Amino acid sequence: MDYHQLLRDSLTRLPTVAATIDSIRKAVQDRGEIVILYFNFDRYSKVEEVYGWEKLDSVLETTGEAMRAFLGKSPLASSKLMVAFPNDDDFIFFHVPQDDTPAATDAEITELTAGLKEAVSTEIERVHGEDIAALFDIFVGRALVVYNPKLRLERQIYRGIREAANASKSLEHREQAKKVSDLRETLRDRGLYIEYHPIVVTDSQKVFGYEALARGALRSMRSPEVMFEIAAQSDLIWDLSRLCRDRAIEGMAKLLKDGELLFMNVDPADFADPSFDVNTLAVKDPTRVVIEITERTAIKDYPKFRGRLKEFRDKGYRFAVDDAGSGYAGLGSIANLEPDFIKLDISLINCIDQNFIKQNLVETMVRFANEHGAMVIAEGVERKEEYEMVKSLGVHLVQGFFVHKPSTNAVTYRPPALASVPVAQEAKP
Amino acid sequence: MADTAHPPILVVDDNADNAHIIRDYLEARGYPITVAYNGDEAMKAFEEVKPAVVLLDVMMPGRDGWQVCREMKQHPTLGKTVRVVMVTALDDWVNKRQALQTGADDYVEKPFELSKLATTLERNVKLVAPNTGGAQATATRSR
Repeated sequence: MDYHQLLRDSLTRLPTVAATIDSIRKAVQDRGEIVILYFNFDRYSKVEEVYGWEKLDSVLETTGEAMRAFLGKSPLASSKLMVAFPNDDDFIFFHVPQDDTPAATDAEITELTAGLKEAVSTEIERVHGEDIAALFDIFVGRALVVYNPKLRLERQIYRGIREAANASKSLEHREQAKKVSDLRETLRDRGLYIEYHPIVVTDSQKVFGYEALARGALRSMRSPEVMFEIAAQSDLIWDLSRLCRDRAIEGMAKLLKDGELLFMNVDPADFADPSFDVNTLAVKDPTRVVIEITERTAIKDYPKFRGRLKEFRDKGYRFAVDDAGSGYAGLGSIANLEPDFIKLDISLINCIDQNFIKQNLVETMVRFANEHGAMVIAEGVERKEEYEMVKSLGVHLVQGFFVHKPSTNAVTYRPPALASVPVAQEAKP
Repeated sequence: MADTAHPPILVVDDNADNAHIIRDYLEARGYPITVAYNGDEAMKAFEEVKPAVVLLDVMMPGRDGWQVCREMKQHPTLGKTVRVVMVTALDDWVNKRQALQTGADDYVEKPFELSKLATTLERNVKLVAPNTGGAQATATRSR
């Protein structure tokens, strides 16, 4: 690799610390002090895990552009010097105040962070969609570097970067504690509503069923990914799952038309919950409920798990394997679950029109499904080309922004207790 | 620069006989071909020639084809536009899934028939954006 590439991050086009250390050193000497801001982007690793490294690369490009645009218009514009770690997902900003201006205070940084978070998140949603934007969070740590001729300057600068990084981490931890408390409040007040995302027949685009997605009424709990992550850390998975199931089933009775199916996400861990009982679920017609189990979660006690599945199957419930093909498990483990539906992992659908290996894999899955009497669902279909491709490969059902825009075409069930909770984009059936 | 229908192609194979058969066959079909015999040479040629499509053998001493593919696909300036066709038998789901993780776009099974190699190459060349010498960038959604 050309050494110039080590001096500038190719995705964000920002200089790296190595490339700017001379000008930073000069700034500290001339001005006497500088402020280092460390931007810690939370959950970008999750984006990479779910969608793959190409997607995170693309999200980082958007992030870099949005940050540049925002900071360029901010009060820090005249002093900014922004750098990135090459190929990493954190950013550093050196704030060098002008001679007659004091350095930004903590309060100013907090205000700036709020604006920045909003600007970057809006841009990520515009380019990459709501699901990725909902994962996004940012914590900004601040450190002051004061010139001291007794100390080696580079060392002071690197210490400052570390200090700012630590400050951002402690903010993240504090925020985490706040989120746990928000989750407890959500559970106590049953503050959840459901968005039903349509799944349509590929050829006719007629609605076949809906996937229930839980949204917390509190802003911090809007993303199901975030809610479940917090629940897993605080041992509240069963409680959260119970509430999500109850709400999804309540809404089903009110909103779903005859023949339409409800696709409900269930964590394999839920099968160990004694209250997840086939006889106590308030479902009138189990044949209209499809239980989605993700392939991502390892199942420890396989025979026992299959036994529980059978109890549900005997009552008429159907099963879908979610995120199928995401891991290296191959088709054997999917066959073991005897699913009625196979939901392809989103990374297989993204740009499938341009990748022949993805096309080959999806074709294999469709053949496998046809041999086993199952139906394949392609989720995350966002572009016409992707839709045309999965259609030509024989995929039975489709879900995604191309066929139905999020929110506007989803059906939302808001329980009476939450009727007054404002939602950014009002959903219409 | 080569015409759009025949953009520059890089052939990477440690077996010189194989590499030359492919080169001669594709040159006869009008493609400008560069050959590299190992991973290091491949990366050097990649930056010099800026090929639209790379035909990459997997089994090579030193850096294998998977490593080379990943490096090419993550290359800061050329990674987004190049199309990489792995020359290997990807016989099951797991292998194909691994190939995707490295960023590969297509594969042709080994031992291959030359006509199969040509059709595989052509379907990738068709996805090369005009005037760039490289393939289409990863599509992003605009709503």
